[in-house]
Amino acid sequence: MLKVNKVDTFYGKSQALWDVSLDIKEAEIVALIGANGAGKTTLLNTISGVLVPTSGTVEFIGQKIDGMAPHRIVGMGLSHIPEGRRLFVEMSVRENLEMGAYSSRAWKHRAETFEQVYKIFPILKERAGQLARTLSGGEQQMLAMGRGLMSRPKLCMFDEPSYGLAPRLLREVFEAIKSLREQGITILLIEQNVRNTLDISDRAYVLENGRIALEGKSQDLLKKELIKKSYLGL
Amino acid sequence: MFASILDIIIDGLFMGGIYALLAMGLSLQYGVARVLNVSHGEFIMVGAFLTLALHTGLGMNPILTLVIIGPIIFIVGYLLHRTLFSALLKSSPSTEVFEGKSLLATFGLLFIIQNVAVLIWGSATRSYSYLASPVEIAGAITSLNRMVTLGITIAIGLAFYIFLARSRMGKAIRAAAQDPATAGIMGVNINNVLALCFGFGLLMAGIAGVLYSMCFGFYTTMGLGFTIIAIIVVVLGGLGSIPGSFIGGFILGIVGQITNTFEAELTLAAYYFIFIVLLLVRPKGIMGK
Ligand SMILES: Nc1ncnc2c1ncn2[C@@H]1O[C@H](COP(=O)(O)OP(=O)(O)OP(=O)(O)O)[C@@H](O)[C@H]1O
Ligand SMILES: [Mg+2]
Repeated sequence: MLKVNKVDTFYGKSQALWDVSLDIKEAEIVALIGANGAGKTTLLNTISGVLVPTSGTVEFIGQKIDGMAPHRIVGMGLSHIPEGRRLFVEMSVRENLEMGAYSSRAWKHRAETFEQVYKIFPILKERAGQLARTLSGGEQQMLAMGRGLMSRPKLCMFDEPSYGLAPRLLREVFEAIKSLREQGITILLIEQNVRNTLDISDRAYVLENGRIALEGKSQDLLKKELIKKSYLGL
Repeated sequence: MFASILDIIIDGLFMGGIYALLAMGLSLQYGVARVLNVSHGEFIMVGAFLTLALHTGLGMNPILTLVIIGPIIFIVGYLLHRTLFSALLKSSPSTEVFEGKSLLATFGLLFIIQNVAVLIWGSATRSYSYLASPVEIAGAITSLNRMVTLGITIAIGLAFYIFLARSRMGKAIRAAAQDPATAGIMGVNINNVLALCFGFGLLMAGIAGVLYSMCFGFYTTMGLGFTIIAIIVVVLGGLGSIPGSFIGGFILGIVGQITNTFEAELTLAAYYFIFIVLLLVRPKGIMGK
């Protein structure tokens, strides 16, 4: 469904990704793990069109998307829930969700999508008229996820959705992600919380210094020495 | 002899309406598109001279010229952004670099527009008479063209506010003002929205020019003074706040009129005075966050 093929990405003159390849099949949950600064966010930005790779290709449902503008990529059904939530804090919860449905295909069906998102995150319905700025951290994360779902995605990329959340909320976030897969949405998940992430994902990629260091079935990776030492603290 | 308080308020509101339009325009360009457009005031001048040409040349009603001048100036603004500023944006590694480059580019625009205007229209002060008949409101005397101008500026301010608050495109503009990259991954065509904002911004200066020309004399080198006023109002109202620019425009209009009544030479000094006091008391501006 998503094919990243030998991608190099630069910030100005400094290279952040080297020869990165990644492959996601429909209805999979794929995890992307790696230390701070490894290039995880850079890779998501390269996929969603915020950054353009200098070489290599990105393909989504059989179409080349590298070099395409971000608004066209989300229009094809690839949703990016960015690191740090990036809510429109001076807009209401409802308006934030509307922005998520901005692509014309999603806009037409937004009434229906609103109901679906409110079903997953009932708190957002209660807070619909409030400014996003006034939500608690957990509610803001729900809003960021809800907003990402408003585009009616085929594939969702989450960048550290549990960042800064209390353990109870963390479980809720993971449950929400699992329930998305049950609805047929494919998922690419970045997480610091390696144990939980490997538990819910089918496969995982480990990024180190901008290169893919390891990939495989999540259950297998859990047994690997490198993972145990560097990411699970065992 | 001092005019009555009501006289001052009415004329202050009228000037305020012009300032409010100008400042809302600059606020769109700077607050959303990140272009501190120092050639902004040139478009009030261009609007005024185009109105003169259409009115005295073709006998058009000055208010109706809005239907022709508005779209022309909007398209010029839109295309300027799609070509010049989007190219600068592409080649800039950060917003700060882009702001610096685009500021320099608009200085260039200022000189080009002004020089061409002087070539075409000379440097004399021009004017024409339209709806100049006096109007009395509760004892205060003003003119019909000023009242029409005030009405149109308020109507445009409110209409634009509702557009931003309610429409799909208006919400995209607000989202882009807060976080353009995120608006992009939500599905907003950012290049298009920024160009629209730049176009709307120039459009507002152009409309201000059409209205100004009905009430005052105008000349080809008057633009920069209006740019400075617009910058003061935008900061006064709170950077990036459209309602702030609107309200700030009226405040500055009234302050200007009060000063003007006592000592016209001090008007610009009074603007700066208000500006500095407000920056000290409320650094974020009236509606700033
Ligand atoms: N805007 C930028 N300009 C220049 N360099 C950047 C920029 N953003 C990231 N980098 C660099 O690129 C590298 C990868 O950063 P990236 O944000 O992708 O890491 P990450 O894996 O998401 O880290 P984290 O876990 O901290 O979010 C880092 O060395 C970082 O310093
Ligand atoms: Mg990151």
